[in-house]
Amino acid sequence: MKELFSKDKWSFLFYTISHPADGFYEIRHRNRGSVAISILLVILFSLSFSINRIGASFVVNDVDPRFVDALDELTSVLVLFGLICVSNWSITCLMQGEGRMKDIAIAVGYSMLPATVCFAVGTIFSQFVAADEGAFYWMIVAIGIAYTLIMMLIGIMQVHHYTLGKTLVTIFLTFVAMFIIIFIVLLFFDLINQVYSFFYSIYQELIFRA
Amino acid sequence: MKKMNLFKKTAACLLTVMMSVLTLGEAAYAEELPYDTYNYNYREDIVMTPAPYVPDGSVTGLSLGTTNFKEPQDLCVAENGEIYIADTGNNRIVIMDADMKNVVRIIDSFERDGVTDTFSAPYGVCVSENNELYVADSRNKRVVVLTPEGEFIKIVDNPQSEILDDNFEFVPLKVTVDYADRIYVIGKNAFEGILVFESNGQFTGYFGTIEVKISLWEKFWRRLASKEERSNQQLYIPTEFTGIDVDSDGFIYASNIDSDGIQAVRRLNPQGKDVIQKGENANVGGDLVVGMYGDYSGPSEITDVVYRDKGMYSLLDKKRGRIFTYDKEGNLLYIFGGLGAQEGTFITPVAIEVTDEHIVVLDATHNAVMKFKETQYGALINDAVGLRFDGDETLAIAKWEEVLRLDENNELANNGIGKAYLTAGDNKKAMHYLEVGMNRKYYSIAWKRLRNEILADNLNYILTGAIVLLIGLKIYKVIKRKKTGVQKEGGLL
Repeated sequence: MKELFSKDKWSFLFYTISHPADGFYEIRHRNRGSVAISILLVILFSLSFSINRIGASFVVNDVDPRFVDALDELTSVLVLFGLICVSNWSITCLMQGEGRMKDIAIAVGYSMLPATVCFAVGTIFSQFVAADEGAFYWMIVAIGIAYTLIMMLIGIMQVHHYTLGKTLVTIFLTFVAMFIIIFIVLLFFDLINQVYSFFYSIYQELIFRA
Repeated sequence: MKKMNLFKKTAACLLTVMMSVLTLGEAAYAEELPYDTYNYNYREDIVMTPAPYVPDGSVTGLSLGTTNFKEPQDLCVAENGEIYIADTGNNRIVIMDADMKNVVRIIDSFERDGVTDTFSAPYGVCVSENNELYVADSRNKRVVVLTPEGEFIKIVDNPQSEILDDNFEFVPLKVTVDYADRIYVIGKNAFEGILVFESNGQFTGYFGTIEVKISLWEKFWRRLASKEERSNQQLYIPTEFTGIDVDSDGFIYASNIDSDGIQAVRRLNPQGKDVIQKGENANVGGDLVVGMYGDYSGPSEITDVVYRDKGMYSLLDKKRGRIFTYDKEGNLLYIFGGLGAQEGTFITPVAIEVTDEHIVVLDATHNAVMKFKETQYGALINDAVGLRFDGDETLAIAKWEEVLRLDENNELANNGIGKAYLTAGDNKKAMHYLEVGMNRKYYSIAWKRLRNEILADNLNYILTGAIVLLIGLKIYKVIKRKKTGVQKEGGLL
């Protein structure tokens, strides 16, 4: 546990933010990343996102805070995170990707940091803007999201040792894989449900006969 | 002592029963309203409100002591309070007194050059400021001008102009007159706009043409279609105007049926340009939330408009029988009314007018005039909006606070108070109320003013602080350099 949160790992996180290509290379080949930190970052991102939705000033915020459930959003962000990692891993396995599951999780998790920070900063900043200055708020948010996306792209590229073109193809295929996984999971749940109702009706029949 | 107790107990019991009966009665009254009263909040959700207007009886031909109306289509209130009804099916104009209890006069014919002339389906009626009666005599294709007593003055018909089609048929439906006695006529199938006549009956042209909007998608398909297909497609013609009214400044309010539900009323200046103000949601088209399918789906079909005092105007929706009232800035103030057979509901509402005490709506199927009187809630809103219109906004705060007492969280009231405080210069309070009222525009104005105030008050401290900070940083750097000597920083972390 201590190993996962060591000082070196933390400082390397910030190095990765400023030097993504170099950082992710080191993470893949010299074990300088930590899955625990990565998951923590995903949770922090979800929190920051929810706080932004609830707390950003109404001048820039179209979301009705009464319908925001932070816990709900945390679950969906974590599920999405897992889904991306699994589907990316299953695609890259077939496409000579060098990255391990661990590396993918770190690449995705670490990339969340800019968005997390920018959502938080934006939330605070939004308290001080008037309606026609909303553009500055949106710029902050957009920079955060763009940085995150670029980092994710570079991360996946470095971790698997891909060219840019191949990375884009795998990312597209990752989305396809995600849909297939969701489809299969839904199918599975539906089947389980039917089996359950079958046994439940047998049980009911027995109860009513007895 | 014991007796006293018993007396007290009985009294208490009686009081409780009385109170509950009373409150029950009140609750029952609220439920007895035959329609919903609501408004839309900032997020365009439906919010139920207290009733701004409640039904206050109806007037039929029989109740006036004459024969029943037959598909009446229009009504108009004269300066002296008398109400003119175009009793279309009976080919007559019925004039009743301000109390709507007695018939003053019935005009079914007039003497013209010594010959008796009659109406044929008089569809629209209007009384000018000079107290002249204008009747849109639709099937006779003319507008008849009479004195209120029924003496013939003139006839306006057969407009002549190059801009009219050769086979143009002048079928006047609604008519109104401004302070200069210019006559504005909505004609059947006159899609180009409102027909305007000078006071001498000379046709001057169309007015307030509604532009046709063709979406990019439709343009794209038209481009693809062959000539033959294109000729079979429906024509893109503007919608017709449905109702018309004139305000005290001579601006024309004209309603139309907007299939997008965005703009169902226009305020036309003397050049015929639309100068209506729209609120934050840029919508003056009636209902914001409508069903997608079924009998009562789709945007509101506004069939008439009435200009009220202080910049307010009300729209009458034919589809769902609702009455929408807006203020001068295009904010939706309140909604009431509905379809049905009960008193206070409509089947075919066709025209709306205001008298001193009532909003009156003419129903062409019930053959009756429905009266609505304002409640405390409606009166408070009307007064507060009027005060803002007159520029006495600070007085409106008390009214709006009363509205908040009746309807907590009322967005309109919070905004009203906020705007009033803004005018009064109390930016902090204004910000509070405008935030509760979710008004981005005015909140931003208040916040900018407050920000400038804070900056102006504290500029000295801020600048001094900045200078001190700068000097401190310089000194710190110098000391650090002396302590460590000049050293190069760098390397990997």
